Amino acid sequence: MADLSAPALSVPAAPVLSPRRPAVSAIAWAVGPALLLFVVFFILPFGVMALLSVLTGNPAIQSGVTFTAQHYERFFEDSLYFEALVATLRIGAITTVASLVIGYPLAHLMARTHSRIGHALLLMAVIAPMLTGIVVRTFAWMTLLQDRGVINTTLLSWGLISSPLKLMYNEFGTIVALVHIYVPFMVLTLTGVIGRIDERLEQAARSLGANRTRTFLEVTLPLSLPGILAGSLLVFALSISAYVTPFLMGGTDVLTLPMLIYQQVGASFNLGFAGALGVVLLAVSLIVIIAYNNVLGRFAGGEKMA
Amino acid sequence: MTTIKPDRRSILKAGAAGAALAALGAPHIANAQAATLKITTWGGKWGEIMKGDLLPAFEREFKCTVSADQAFPFLPKLQASPRGNPIYDVLHANSNEQWKAVEFGIVEPKVDPKNVPNLKDVYPYAINDKIAGVSIFTSGIGLGYRTDKGLGKPTSWKDLADPKLAGQRGGYLIPVNSLGQAHLMMLGQIYGSGMQDLDAAYKALEALKPIKLFDFTGQMEKALLSAEVTMGVIHDSGVYRYEGTPEPVDFALPSEGVLALEQVLTVTPGSKVKELAYAYIDYMLRPDVQKKLAEAVWYSPSNTKVQLDAKYDAKLFNTPEKVARLIQPDWKWYNARKDAIDLRVTRILRG
Amino acid sequence: MSARPDAGHIAYLAVNGAIITFLLAPIAIITVFALNPTPYISFPPVGISLRWFEKFFSSPEFMGALWLSLQVAVVVLVLSMVIGGLCALALARGNIPGSRVLTAFFMSPLMLPAILTGLALFQLYLLLDIGRPVWGLIMGHTLVAVPYVLRTTLAVLHNFDRRIEEAAAVHGASPARVFFEVTLPLIRPGVFAGGIFAFIVSFDQFPISLFLVMPQGETLPVVLFNYMKFDLDGAIAAASMVSILMAVSVVVILEKVIGLKSYVKL
Repeated sequence: MADLSAPALSVPAAPVLSPRRPAVSAIAWAVGPALLLFVVFFILPFGVMALLSVLTGNPAIQSGVTFTAQHYERFFEDSLYFEALVATLRIGAITTVASLVIGYPLAHLMARTHSRIGHALLLMAVIAPMLTGIVVRTFAWMTLLQDRGVINTTLLSWGLISSPLKLMYNEFGTIVALVHIYVPFMVLTLTGVIGRIDERLEQAARSLGANRTRTFLEVTLPLSLPGILAGSLLVFALSISAYVTPFLMGGTDVLTLPMLIYQQVGASFNLGFAGALGVVLLAVSLIVIIAYNNVLGRFAGGEKMA
Repeated sequence: MTTIKPDRRSILKAGAAGAALAALGAPHIANAQAATLKITTWGGKWGEIMKGDLLPAFEREFKCTVSADQAFPFLPKLQASPRGNPIYDVLHANSNEQWKAVEFGIVEPKVDPKNVPNLKDVYPYAINDKIAGVSIFTSGIGLGYRTDKGLGKPTSWKDLADPKLAGQRGGYLIPVNSLGQAHLMMLGQIYGSGMQDLDAAYKALEALKPIKLFDFTGQMEKALLSAEVTMGVIHDSGVYRYEGTPEPVDFALPSEGVLALEQVLTVTPGSKVKELAYAYIDYMLRPDVQKKLAEAVWYSPSNTKVQLDAKYDAKLFNTPEKVARLIQPDWKWYNARKDAIDLRVTRILRG
Repeated sequence: MSARPDAGHIAYLAVNGAIITFLLAPIAIITVFALNPTPYISFPPVGISLRWFEKFFSSPEFMGALWLSLQVAVVVLVLSMVIGGLCALALARGNIPGSRVLTAFFMSPLMLPAILTGLALFQLYLLLDIGRPVWGLIMGHTLVAVPYVLRTTLAVLHNFDRRIEEAAAVHGASPARVFFEVTLPLIRPGVFAGGIFAFIVSFDQFPISLFLVMPQGETLPVVLFNYMKFDLDGAIAAASMVSILMAVSVVVILEKVIGLKSYVKL
């Protein structure tokens, strides 16, 4: 680290000023620690899992292990697995969009609240749900949404409904709870970005006659695209790998790849198949994320935003 | 089933140690001075008694330290560790997982009575060929129900299919829960030609829809207590533990028999402290230890010599007559078909 | 914002009120659960009791786990802010070929269900025969915490005018001075937002820890999960409340000491 920081910081001003041919600059070395961390603690162990997914057993502990495609073939043998992959991506996408829609106004309010107390209160409201712990929080949602839960009991006693609404044991309940978990991630990511947008730009637009909506659509929203990109990627990545929430909230209706992976590891003890499912999920989601990154990255006009 | 050949030398050695131990009449184990015994054990109330009382007493008596892992899942961790240097010496798990472990060759299929003298006092069901290792406790899986919903006490497994219970009956996620798996086999028994009649079981399962499914028994307990379900598959311990509280829940033993949910101990073949491992199993089978745990968590003890207090005696399976009502599923058979069953039941229950 | 009480502004505040209600509703439930004397959530609550807090605070297991989780989370916070912050600078400024793919790649630990990451790390540690040291747990947590810092820092870097740094350098500021007086304050909101995530992700981390904790050194989520499997009572809600109250006090202290709004622009 010490020897890294010296060259990293001696960025000469001149070459940076020529945007035509960007040479790899010295600060690129700062990627070192992260790269090291990922290679040793992710690539290497994940490589072990990926290797297990093409083997008949675990060569570290048994003999006579050979290469096989059986675990990948199994994925295609029954359409249930593919359906689970589609459901995973669908739930991830809906959760991301919903988190953005819910998170943006709150992030905007936080970024534009000037009173210190108001701001601190808002920050608490955002951070507090994150620290409840995923399992406990999901149980709280079950208490709210289940057939005998708070919402249904209240509506029933007021005579507004005659039988409990199907609020959980389905995809709806799963997404509600997932959105609740991931909205704070969206809010905190967006706040930093919106907070940096010069308010005078908005005021200028308004004084030039743009109404609130137009100011938002033409000034604030485009400038917050980097935050939207970052927040959506985080939420998408998190919700496609979520396990506890779909498991507890989805009942028999929801089946996602992470649920299947947990079953394979924890109850079927088939590490090869679990590894294969992991490889499939990771590959598909990387493709989705790189595509999204490229599209929105170009849209936001930042070629190196990534 | 793949039969695992136990390393003969280690068995001889262990046997010799056991003999020497018996001869000395002393509970001390040679060379166990600084030994560490690595075990798995449950959390909750069970874990409190183990960590607060039973394990420290074992450590003092055998002059060793016990490292008790309570973090699931145990089997994948054992699976990943080298055979010659396993992460556990004694595996505590339910029967279905133990048979899987036997199949992988990561636990010894049987416990030799020479090494564990208390085995002579256990009920036959605890060491028969449906069991890998030894079952130290069992609970009975039957039907838990609410007493304030106008339901009569259920008498048969078929009562769960009562149309009145639509959407208010509870079961388990079959791929991950052994109670759910046992119940599926029971459906084959009740509605078909036997525990292995899967077609009948699938049909019966379909008829139980809509049903609320849970991951583990604690969740079912809470669902019963909060009236989210009014009748569900559960083990006796999960209901009896509320005895003496005002909760309107009770447990019913179906006339067709209750399913055994066994707490099984096995020893890993690569364990470096096998004498200590056997001593631990023997310790867990001692009448006083069994009584303490049985009365703390309402598990039926395996040792025939245990004298339970009246209120436990009335309910737990602790006489030959009562034990005869326990039905032990054939887990070797089930495990061999698990993948196909998982797919099928997931499809049946979806939507 | 010039808050004219027009219809648009009222709608704006109403929407935000609804969002905050949505965020806080489960916490209300957990509060009731934690204070309710029955061992399950009952509505309406039957009374108020501190028995679950008592149970939580009097259990050496819960307390030890809470302390370990806090320590691990603080180390993870520092490590991931440094590693993720540097990495973001390199990716945004280093002109690294294929930096976009590299960024997506750095996100991958978030996309893989963490039970596989945990299991894979466990298998690796076993193969290397290093046991399950606490630093191994910390590295596992850092791995899934760095992507947050990376993403949030990249987001603020994008809006940040590089000419400010260049101007500073042209005016004779040393690279170190440019970094500490210009670059760092500019990326601070991103790094801090990421740091908050890193802390929370570590403190709430469950699937990775499941495989990497030692029997006598379990983190709070692992202890809670195992506890819950057998005793699903108010103690887990009390644990939740304690975490929330800690978070709230941290926010209050930070606000008093450094002023969150002006300092980190959060």
